[in-house]
Amino acid sequence: MKIDLVQDRILLLDGAMGTELQRRGLPPGGQPELLNLTDPELLASVYQEYADAGSQVVYANTFGANALKLARSGHTVEEVVSAAVSTARQAVGGRAMVALDVGPLGELLEPMGSLTFERAYELFREMMLAGAAAGADLIAVETMTDLYEAKAALLAAKENSTLPVLVTMSFEESGRTFTGCTVASMARTLEGLGADAVGLNCSLGPEQLVPLLRELCENTRLPVIAKPNAGLPDPVDGHYDMGPEEFAAAMLPCLEAGVTVFGGCCGTSPAYIRELKAALEGRRPVSRRYAGGSFVCTPVVPLRLDGVRVIGERVNPTGKKRFQQALLEGDLDYILDIAVQQEEAGADILDINVGCPGVDEAAMLPRVVKKIQSAVSLPLQLDSSNPDALEAGLRVYNGKPAVNSVNGEAAVLERILPIVKKYGASVVGLTMDCEGIPGTAEKRVEIAKRILERASAHGIPREDLWIDCLALTVSAQQEQAGETLKAVRTVRRELGLQTVLGVSNISFGLPNRPLVTENFLIQALAAGLTLPIVNPNQREMMDAVAAFRVLSGEDEHCRDYIERFSALPASRTAPAQDGPATLEEAVIRGLKTDAARLAKEALEGEDGLSLVEGRLIPALDSVGEGYERGTVFLPQLLSAAQAAQAVFEAVRTSIAERGGAPVKKGRLIVATVQGDIHDIGKNIVKTVLENYGYEVLDLGRDVPPEAVARAVEEHNVGLVGLSALMTTTLPAMEETVRQLRALDRPPAVFVGGAVVTPEYAERIGADGYAKDARQSVEITRRVLG
Amino acid sequence: MVEEALRYLGAGDAPEDLRRQVAVEAKALSASLRPRFAYRVCELDFQSERILLRGTAVVLTGTTAFRMLGSCGRAALLACTLGTRFDLSLAAMQARDMARAVILDACGSALVEQGCDGAEKELAARFPGQYLTDRFSPGYGDLPLSLQGNICTALDAPRRLGLHVTESSLLNPVKSVTAVVGLSDQPQKARIRGCTYCQMRESCALHKGGNHCEN
Repeated sequence: MKIDLVQDRILLLDGAMGTELQRRGLPPGGQPELLNLTDPELLASVYQEYADAGSQVVYANTFGANALKLARSGHTVEEVVSAAVSTARQAVGGRAMVALDVGPLGELLEPMGSLTFERAYELFREMMLAGAAAGADLIAVETMTDLYEAKAALLAAKENSTLPVLVTMSFEESGRTFTGCTVASMARTLEGLGADAVGLNCSLGPEQLVPLLRELCENTRLPVIAKPNAGLPDPVDGHYDMGPEEFAAAMLPCLEAGVTVFGGCCGTSPAYIRELKAALEGRRPVSRRYAGGSFVCTPVVPLRLDGVRVIGERVNPTGKKRFQQALLEGDLDYILDIAVQQEEAGADILDINVGCPGVDEAAMLPRVVKKIQSAVSLPLQLDSSNPDALEAGLRVYNGKPAVNSVNGEAAVLERILPIVKKYGASVVGLTMDCEGIPGTAEKRVEIAKRILERASAHGIPREDLWIDCLALTVSAQQEQAGETLKAVRTVRRELGLQTVLGVSNISFGLPNRPLVTENFLIQALAAGLTLPIVNPNQREMMDAVAAFRVLSGEDEHCRDYIERFSALPASRTAPAQDGPATLEEAVIRGLKTDAARLAKEALEGEDGLSLVEGRLIPALDSVGEGYERGTVFLPQLLSAAQAAQAVFEAVRTSIAERGGAPVKKGRLIVATVQGDIHDIGKNIVKTVLENYGYEVLDLGRDVPPEAVARAVEEHNVGLVGLSALMTTTLPAMEETVRQLRALDRPPAVFVGGAVVTPEYAERIGADGYAKDARQSVEITRRVLG
Repeated sequence: MVEEALRYLGAGDAPEDLRRQVAVEAKALSASLRPRFAYRVCELDFQSERILLRGTAVVLTGTTAFRMLGSCGRAALLACTLGTRFDLSLAAMQARDMARAVILDACGSALVEQGCDGAEKELAARFPGQYLTDRFSPGYGDLPLSLQGNICTALDAPRRLGLHVTESSLLNPVKSVTAVVGLSDQPQKARIRGCTYCQMRESCALHKGGNHCEN
């Protein structure tokens, strides 16, 4: 049987399974999926009643039939899924289609949990293969609250079956899921990834869902599903407050909002579906208005491209020795820091380029994407010409990204566009081809048209194509500035496409570069540039964009502009009044910017190492002593550490520029032990130690003992710090120490964390116990010097 | 919330500018997210060594549970979380400014406790005439951490709150609390929170004499 997922027809799904089984006596807390094997008759009766009530699709009882949840059941995913699907198929006997029901895995995905995206994909894949083999007619991914998990499930469905896929997520009344995902982010991401219908299920009743469904309908061209609960549950006993008739009546506004696929979730039963069917009888779907428009997003930041949006260019190693060194050493914290600075400077999108000799781009790009999205919420533009790197990066990106770039060359288009389409990304098209960059605006526009034609042929909507008319160096090719501006104007006005331009190039080789760049930026914006690629840390550029937004009317009531500049005089004068006189004072008072400035000044006459040893460390020590005496508190200790970090960064940059060997005082490993997810304590220790000049390899949290041991051997490290916060994870700490002790060259180990005591540390064979970050410095000094 | 957060930072007598920083962070946090909570009231079934919460798989053992619930006919299971959005913003803050991150962390702990207070208040309003015991959580006294799983299942916490329990019985998102609150016909002593909060304070002979009970 084939599902009829078209906009102009109503489709009726089923109601709840979980609460329906409880109503029939399933004890709470049991695993309902095991009934597929132990009591298929019970399930058959539920499927039959839904089909009798008018459901055109019944969901097989497979919501939690994944390998994680079945781990202790003694049954395989394949067994449970195929039993469920075949019972359902027999029960409905061709009167309804059977959906493989796929719920959340039951553990949080990275970066919040320790389940990796790749592992989540594998778990879903197993279900999809089993469902398709058992003869499911479609796949229903539901009750998702994490867009990343929904993406893993949808990719697994699309790559391992040919079945249609419905995806529904659960929202709070605020319009966000538990993880903060917005309706627009969900709709645009899942449609891009190839879902066949999207919608909302569970968590709320029909009335609360209507405004969210309206928003969803404006953000997708796909059929929209509503599968709400029977109202809201009573907090005391968990009963839902709506009866079948009331529920059915409350669903009609969903139809008005544009929904065409209907069903019920918790608290609904076959009686509700019968009433729903009666209420929908003879009604027609309403015509919908798709708001459309260019768009990129992360779950929490839906970014409509309906004005000027700044793309930050700084995550790029080209011509930056310090960045290249970070890539070669795998120092992702350095790269994250650059991303963070651009977010703070007001960038809207970040370009991510990690191409550098000696770096495996296909392995590095996904790592960097994951690292950045763990702490930065801006949408990303993945910048590479390597299709494997792009695919690997797009795969692990959470949301709707952009790709930089394709050009007019046929081979490039055919290589990259299918990947762009598959992952629902936007794409930058450079107006050049195998013959180079054309000298006239007309020729560049011709290439833009060619790219547009190919993108459309690959099913990429025109709103997702951004054209880069290419800015050339004005000191070398002076007439080209005008041609670029002309091309931008035509592409924007006549083709109606988004326009991208890396403007910094224009001023290369000239004195007072920012002046020329800013001038060009303003002219380009006036010509129709919508997505300038700039260094957002250059204040002049961001100021120019702010002013342009005022004049174009985009910044309504000049609100952003006023906010940007009204705060400025105060912040400009403040440091002048009581700025620190010395580097030591800047560190002690935790003044990062001043510390960096004073360090840079000092480095002109002083050697980096003597600056660190002679001035920085003593300053840090005096703060540390204050902390021990109780006159300095943790946040102040950390402020001082961060100011020290700024000094270190200045030292590293100065050494990298001179091509010297990096300063390193010795290396240690820190990790939060397996099973433990509380890592702020370990992160504090890391921050403080790094600012004493030690190289800290941070293995993260929930780290298995073997992984710690392996890292010690691999990096030949003589000291390891372990943290654990809960009593339940102490055994993992003990086991880690045991494995480290068993190595050929066992490292010294110190331990810490809320429940760890000096006695415990001694008992498990650790060499030291650190009550706080300050003590970890003492221990590290003793061991590493 | 500011005082509570400062207490978590071990900085009760903090200098003015630290206090101000905490106040700024606390205000921004409570404006940006609200703790979510769920609770469920169950009849208690006292057996010789354990207390069953009817309709759930939760079984309480040990002296803490008996001491706290001794005079109760019912108890509420309670869970409260700040959600993964807090974890995300804490991770983001750690990448920006570790000093502000530890302040945010302390404010988060204070806010989730405030959420529990809110849940208790709502619970008390639903059961007029009943006295609530202090809330107590797995890990307190001899109440095992391993209860987290069954408490969360009984509350349907993964679906209703986005609250999960890891293999090692830790709650995830990190700023989350589960607790048990007894409901009794008799006034309850503030066994955990102390005399200031005790419902018996006015009539307590020990308190009048400047002493306190063993609870």
